[in-house]
Amino acid sequence: MEVVLHLPVVPNVELVAAKAIEAVGGALGMPQSRVEAASVAIVEACLNAMEHGGGRMSVRVASEGGEGNSGRPRLVVEVEDHGRGFDPATAPRNTASQVLGCASKRGWGLTLIRELMDEVEIQSEPGQTIVRMCKYVENDS
Amino acid sequence: MNEDQIKLEKDIIAEGLGLIAAEGYINNEGGQAIADAAADLMNKGCGTLLIDLDGTRIINSIGVSILLEIMEKLIEQEGRLAFCSLTPTISKTFEIMGLVQYATIFPDQESARLELEGHVTR
Repeated sequence: MEVVLHLPVVPNVELVAAKAIEAVGGALGMPQSRVEAASVAIVEACLNAMEHGGGRMSVRVASEGGEGNSGRPRLVVEVEDHGRGFDPATAPRNTASQVLGCASKRGWGLTLIRELMDEVEIQSEPGQTIVRMCKYVENDS
Repeated sequence: MNEDQIKLEKDIIAEGLGLIAAEGYINNEGGQAIADAAADLMNKGCGTLLIDLDGTRIINSIGVSILLEIMEKLIEQEGRLAFCSLTPTISKTFEIMGLVQYATIFPDQESARLELEGHVTR
């Protein structure tokens, strides 16, 4: 199963992407708590794309693996924008101890994505940034 | 309900204890609506606020950053902030962003009220 969305920059459009997560995650039999974690991650990725991407974005939500395919069953999400790009290695990694007394409390998107998803890969260059994330249907414990 | 519209109810449930029940998407608008409700309850003498997120399934970091600002204001006034009825993902998000270091988390409103009504900050 695969859902591809081309989304304009309008208020709350990130919820459309979250709905795609619910649909594909539900079809995979993913537990609700894992679907919700992936939903928050895609919301954050879309907000970043809207803020820094300079225009419309593309979202791909797909099921991969399991039943004769390679790897464990998983939800794969890609969010692509066409902004000026950034260096993921130097992107801020916020920590909880920084929050109080700090004038700006923003900049948590990538931290949340990395914490809530099982695998995250970011490819970025001027004109194209792709955030690729994966959430396994079941955790490995 | 329409998930992108937050539904709020607020009430003073004991002397010095305010309750905000929020249902829907906590984004910048949802977070600000909660902040406005919190300011109103604080102006009415509530030094302890309980925010019940039963029915809230999705949040974003901008909305949570506004909740952090509410917490800062309460701490400045030696007040207390508590949350209840969080989904596992919202609970984890609060943990990542540092809310749980300063706020108390209860599993449900009943257990929160049982604890808070006996220890209200006025």
